Amino acid sequence: MTPSPASPRPALRHETVLLAVVVLEWLCFHALGPRFGTLENSFDLLRHSAEIGLLALAMTPVILTGGIDLSVGSLLGLCAVLFGKLWRDAGLDPATAAACTLGIGALAGGLNAALIAGLRLPPLIVTLGTYSLFRGLAEAITRGADTFTNFPAAFLFLGQERWLGLPTQAWFFAAVAAAVWLLVHRTTFGCACRAHGFAPEGTRYAGLPVGRQLTAVYVLSGLIAALAAVIYTARLGQARADAGTGYELLAITAVVLGGTSIFGGRGSVHGTLLGVAALAILNNGLVHARQPREVAGLLTGALLLLALAAGTAPRLWAARRARRSPAPSSP
Amino acid sequence: MIKPALSLLLCGLVFLAGCGRAPEAARDAGGGKRLTVALLPKSKGNAYFISCRAGAEKAARALGVELLFDGPTDTDPAKQNEIIENWITLGVDVIAAACENREGISTALRKAQARGIKVITYDADALPDARAFFVNQATPEGIGQTLMDEAARLTNAEGEFAVILSTLTASNMQEWLKHIRARLAEKYPRMKLVAVRPCDDQKDKAQTEATTLLSAHPNLRLLMNICSPAVPGAAEAVKQAGKTGQVKVIGLGLPSENRRYVKEGVTDSVILWKTEDLGALAVEAAVALAQGTLKRGDTAFRNAAGATYEVRGDQLLLGQPFIFNRDNIDQFNF
Amino acid sequence: MKAWPRELSVGLALAALLAALAVFAPSFFAPQPLLSLAAREAPVLLVACGAAMVIVCRQIDISSGSQFAVVSVAAGLLAAEGWPPAAVAGTALALGATLGALNGILVAGLGLPSIVVTLATMVTWREGLRWWRQGAFINLPDGLQWLGLGQAAGQWALIGAALALLALLALAARHLAAGRHLYAVGSDAEAARLAGIRPSAVTFGAFTLAGALTGLAALMNVIQSPQVDPKSGTGLELKAIAAVVVGGVGIAGGRGRLAGVLLGLLLLATVGPALTHLRIEAHWEKAIQGAIILLAVAAERARRRPAR
Repeated sequence: MTPSPASPRPALRHETVLLAVVVLEWLCFHALGPRFGTLENSFDLLRHSAEIGLLALAMTPVILTGGIDLSVGSLLGLCAVLFGKLWRDAGLDPATAAACTLGIGALAGGLNAALIAGLRLPPLIVTLGTYSLFRGLAEAITRGADTFTNFPAAFLFLGQERWLGLPTQAWFFAAVAAAVWLLVHRTTFGCACRAHGFAPEGTRYAGLPVGRQLTAVYVLSGLIAALAAVIYTARLGQARADAGTGYELLAITAVVLGGTSIFGGRGSVHGTLLGVAALAILNNGLVHARQPREVAGLLTGALLLLALAAGTAPRLWAARRARRSPAPSSP
Repeated sequence: MIKPALSLLLCGLVFLAGCGRAPEAARDAGGGKRLTVALLPKSKGNAYFISCRAGAEKAARALGVELLFDGPTDTDPAKQNEIIENWITLGVDVIAAACENREGISTALRKAQARGIKVITYDADALPDARAFFVNQATPEGIGQTLMDEAARLTNAEGEFAVILSTLTASNMQEWLKHIRARLAEKYPRMKLVAVRPCDDQKDKAQTEATTLLSAHPNLRLLMNICSPAVPGAAEAVKQAGKTGQVKVIGLGLPSENRRYVKEGVTDSVILWKTEDLGALAVEAAVALAQGTLKRGDTAFRNAAGATYEVRGDQLLLGQPFIFNRDNIDQFNF
Repeated sequence: MKAWPRELSVGLALAALLAALAVFAPSFFAPQPLLSLAAREAPVLLVACGAAMVIVCRQIDISSGSQFAVVSVAAGLLAAEGWPPAAVAGTALALGATLGALNGILVAGLGLPSIVVTLATMVTWREGLRWWRQGAFINLPDGLQWLGLGQAAGQWALIGAALALLALLALAARHLAAGRHLYAVGSDAEAARLAGIRPSAVTFGAFTLAGALTGLAALMNVIQSPQVDPKSGTGLELKAIAAVVVGGVGIAGGRGRLAGVLLGLLLLATVGPALTHLRIEAHWEKAIQGAIILLAVAAERARRRPAR
């Protein structure tokens, strides 16, 4: 769980900086928008960030292994459409349909896994292909036009109502967050993921079951994307082939903002959660500050660069000092 | 060591705070509680809604209300809901929405109504129970029929034609396409719709698609473009293929983007309503609804400028769509 | 290394597709539309070349689509202001190079990961442009289209220029020291450094060159029609990257040829029109495109197994 032994320990952890950013954002928007700090708005925040948050959670172990999954947004769309199809056309009740959808998500993740772990193809290319394939299947199944709607109220409860005081989907989000956190930070599996991110070949030679690890990571990603699809459908009360367009980039943004290194090996689940929070608060708060939506995009870009620079600056600094004084060993 | 970065971040946020507050304070200094109207376009960065916004801003200034204009910058259907829910918490007085997806957005609009916020829709309707009035510029049926009739007129009601639309999943596209197909089946048996291609709302892609369509379907008589960037794109493709006059181009679009091709005789007719008036009427109706001067059961709505619009049931009618062609396009500059 | 091993599967796939078209839809090969389509893809080829350089250098650039839009709008506005075409072209190139150099500084200078940097610049340019222009089209003055060459000559000139640049870049990558440095840094930056190459300078150069190529590409697109759409270039980065990886350039850096990029782009650019010619409905297009990408890379790997 410690950062790379090669890099000097930074004065402040990335997560601490990010926490400060989140708090600052909160204070700023609280000052700007009188209704920003209300309980109701906090619930809106939770509701609106649940799906992106889930995808970001799924993406974290993937990126920790040094991989990437560009297909999650498309898979969300495909799963939403298939869920609608199973419920309306196959006549399944929502719970069964949701269970089947989760299975399909895992299966689709399995396709990524087979190509990445089995054929050892680069994750970027494979998921670029499935990004197009999954969205294409969603469009082909619905012919682009079909929209699933009029879901029963009991199902919509999942996305629009509260359970035990919190928006229903927040409980799912919390459960997945806890599970992924435990998996990444408290199991040997999580350690192995980081190890693979640091040194893929080394991990292989060390005798770790790299293939099985990667398979698990991508299947998990598909499974969580399917869950996000079900929650998305419940929140909107409709499922269509364009659901989740562009979510993969938002999820990656959140993960990277959370301090996970895109090269793998370094990062944390709580960092990802903070990254999700930072982006969600920015998007929501700017509406309360009555700024147009483009500003949110601009500031997301700026925040990303700043957070990144904040993480790298100390290392650069140290490297420069090390270069000035003769290094004890080769770098 | 990290302090510089942190303070930089702080500066950024404080700056942001500053730029957010300035216009706000200026506006609030006007005194009294001003009505806030929130206008939601289907998407931002689209010439059609820029024009609507211009009309809406004029109307808002004339009526002395505050106008919020914001909408999604990307195509995900959930984004409109998020903006509406934010507006509900923000406490706006009226929401006027152009709905990207009927069922999905109705969830959020009903919630707004339950909180005492007045809701109207314009451009594209939600479910009837989710709003008080719909400012109707033209029904999907009317648009489909007008387009199809115009196509038939130009081709003597025979031969092949193709449709270029924004994306396959956009609900208004599918709605219009449905009515185009219905009219075709009902009235023009000798015409044939041979292809439907998406252009992702980009002129460049529309040009490529049209070029391909022209070579794949050599007997094509007409290109019907039902999203605004596609009309000039298709016209350029027809012109470059040397098929001006031989293949007709029609579509839904703005006069300003098509003037050149209409004058050159490449594009035959562009169909649209007065978008500025649509934006203005949306704001005027929203304000009247909030002030109680517009009620169910009214048969006419008179705006401040004195223009009268018909009210039919729960719909305000903007009037018939215009057909812009070579003879009249210079009279319009939007 | 045998000659042309990596590009073979792409070439075969392209040949198969063209053969299918020749049998089922010979209308595809009508010369005039084909020339128009090729001219429309010429700018994409330049963007793909830039993407290939960056990927060979073991980086990635997903901001090229937004750069393309920014340069298109800037060039359009200047031309509408009445600037002479040469000045517009110079500015477009310089602006493209500047945008690329900015990525380069952040990646090579500060050592930030390229996918994150270019993700940030992609969002920033795109949203900034939307904020600034609100999506309004720009009408260009009459003389700019085809630079006064006439349509057919203009189209040939664009295709010729794109292919000539490709050949030039391919030769440079193979024979010039700077080109070899690109591959050296991409295969092993540390080894390259020990061999006396400055990896950060090479990386910076790759991003700047990619930006300049994108700027040129935007210009080549602008002169093909009398209006500029500020949404142009949306999704271009993915198309370029797909062409590069399908064309056999290794995403892990240090491997791949520009000739392969040309084949990859030809394959991907043929699929869309081919579906229209084969009368396949549009809603199948994305699925088929995805399947082709997957098959191309999987076939490549299956053939070379058990390499590495």
